[in-house]
Amino acid sequence: MKRVTNDKIDRPDGALCFGVLLILLALLLLLSLAIGSVPVSVKDILRSVGMGGGSVSDTVRDILWQIRMPRALAALILGGALGLAGYLLQTFFHNPIAGPFVLGISSGAKLTVALLTVFFLGRGVRVSSWGMIAAAFAGAVAAMGVVLVMSGKVDSMAMLIVSGVMIGYICSAVTDLVVTFAQDADIVNLHNWSKGSFSGITWDNVAVMGIVVAASAAASLWLSKPIGAYQLGESYAAGVGVDVRALRFLLVLLSSILAACITAFAGPVSFVGIAVPHLVKGLFRTAKPLVMIPACFLGGAVFCLFCDLLARTLFAPTELSISSVTAVFGAPVVIAVMLRRRRGGER
Amino acid sequence: MQVRQLTAGYHDVPVLRNVTIEIPRGGIVTLIGPNGAGKSTLLRSIAGQLAPTAGCVLLGQEDLYGMSRQELARRMASVFTDKVRTELMTCEDVVAGGRYPYTGRFGILSEQDRRIVYDSMEITRVLDIGQRDYNKISDGQRQRVLLARALCQQPEIILLDEPVSYLDIRYKLEFMSALRRLAGEKGMTVVMSLHELELARHFSDRVLCVKNGCVVRSGPPERIFGQGYMRELFDIGAEYADGTAWERLL
Repeated sequence: MKRVTNDKIDRPDGALCFGVLLILLALLLLLSLAIGSVPVSVKDILRSVGMGGGSVSDTVRDILWQIRMPRALAALILGGALGLAGYLLQTFFHNPIAGPFVLGISSGAKLTVALLTVFFLGRGVRVSSWGMIAAAFAGAVAAMGVVLVMSGKVDSMAMLIVSGVMIGYICSAVTDLVVTFAQDADIVNLHNWSKGSFSGITWDNVAVMGIVVAASAAASLWLSKPIGAYQLGESYAAGVGVDVRALRFLLVLLSSILAACITAFAGPVSFVGIAVPHLVKGLFRTAKPLVMIPACFLGGAVFCLFCDLLARTLFAPTELSISSVTAVFGAPVVIAVMLRRRRGGER
Repeated sequence: MQVRQLTAGYHDVPVLRNVTIEIPRGGIVTLIGPNGAGKSTLLRSIAGQLAPTAGCVLLGQEDLYGMSRQELARRMASVFTDKVRTELMTCEDVVAGGRYPYTGRFGILSEQDRRIVYDSMEITRVLDIGQRDYNKISDGQRQRVLLARALCQQPEIILLDEPVSYLDIRYKLEFMSALRRLAGEKGMTVVMSLHELELARHFSDRVLCVKNGCVVRSGPPERIFGQGYMRELFDIGAEYADGTAWERLL
């Protein structure tokens, strides 16, 4: 179009890009703690984490420690997990518009979590964080299984996504049914959760998701070399010595765990998984997994912190569901990606 | 390398039947034969990517399908006709991927790795397009980039499936001469399939004729070409006997 020769890849300084992401992350983290129905000054934030002299009132301390910090950390951890899950799925399917949400994996996890919650709430038992993740994982794997069967039958990228979206709709419909007919005081929470939200996260939740996501992210990084070879296609990966079957299994496993973890705590969050890897690729201009894996994590964290900040402040005290905010920013990215592909003459 | 009574195929339908061949170390072995004869299948079986249903492939004394993936990738490299779709990868990135069996856990290239990447790109003459997007170069350039990638693996044996199909005549000759040099100076074994009979005749040490899933004839090129055997191999009827230069090849 405008540029005559755009076939050279000009790569910016990777360290600089990471620096920018980290600064954005710190800034958004600070804003997430400061902004809310009770504004908290930066000085008070520093004081309440033990930096700087003086003390803060108990109310401010409670707001920060019991509400805003776990929520901000959850947005950070789960956002990172979403970005990473999207990247792994896009790599696995060689499909630029894959993600846990559009493939129906989030919705599968949502269904099993809703079933479990309603079942146990009816008997007056609270489900632990680990129990939630386990249920979500079962649902994610089931949905992933259906998608994998589909991917063997359809060879078009668009058809795969359409079948994923359909699986998502079916699971969501059943979830709505379950939630609608469940009778309990906690139904409001369940309802919020089933629409996607970072509210009501406890420190216990944060600890569990921290462990699960950190382990999955470390495993992904550990696999960055074979993932890089796999990007060229299976036959070329096999040719340089990659155990393709094992790698495919691990990619499915890791992306299912990540998607399950997100859904168990925040419900379905749309478009972050698809959009973040593309935004990050646009920033770094590389596809090297050793760069992309940490970058997608940071990018997802920044994206979700930003969207969550908007979700709870834009129409305060009314809170928006996180998905409606992420969709506003994420969906245009997907459209842009598809338009660019079309122009490049690719399917 | 030895192939013993190999039977292989896809979804339980055998494409190759009872193939036995021996490929000596060093030199260029070319597979010719009609479309669908089983040349690519044979190459895939030799490459360790299509497990035989019967028979075996021996590399030295070892069963190829019993070797570790890394060991195999260090001794053998292959370029097939699968389309490669990349995103934001330069040609150099693609070539450097060939160092996979030698690099550490995270695949970071050492100084020596970089030198080998450079040398490989020099041999196939792709240094000038090193920083360009792999998606935005021509098919002929891609074939040369993929050969450089295979050379990076520093293999004893290199397997190529129709490696010059997209190249113009000058690059065809350059490519084949480069293979000739590798086979001569470095003692590399090249096994490839070709549809260009004149190239097969000129550059091969040995020619294997493949038809209907069997190796039907093999020998040095002078014993294969120009004897009328090509008519039989490719089922070329008498209507194409026009007494021109083709006759000498067929």
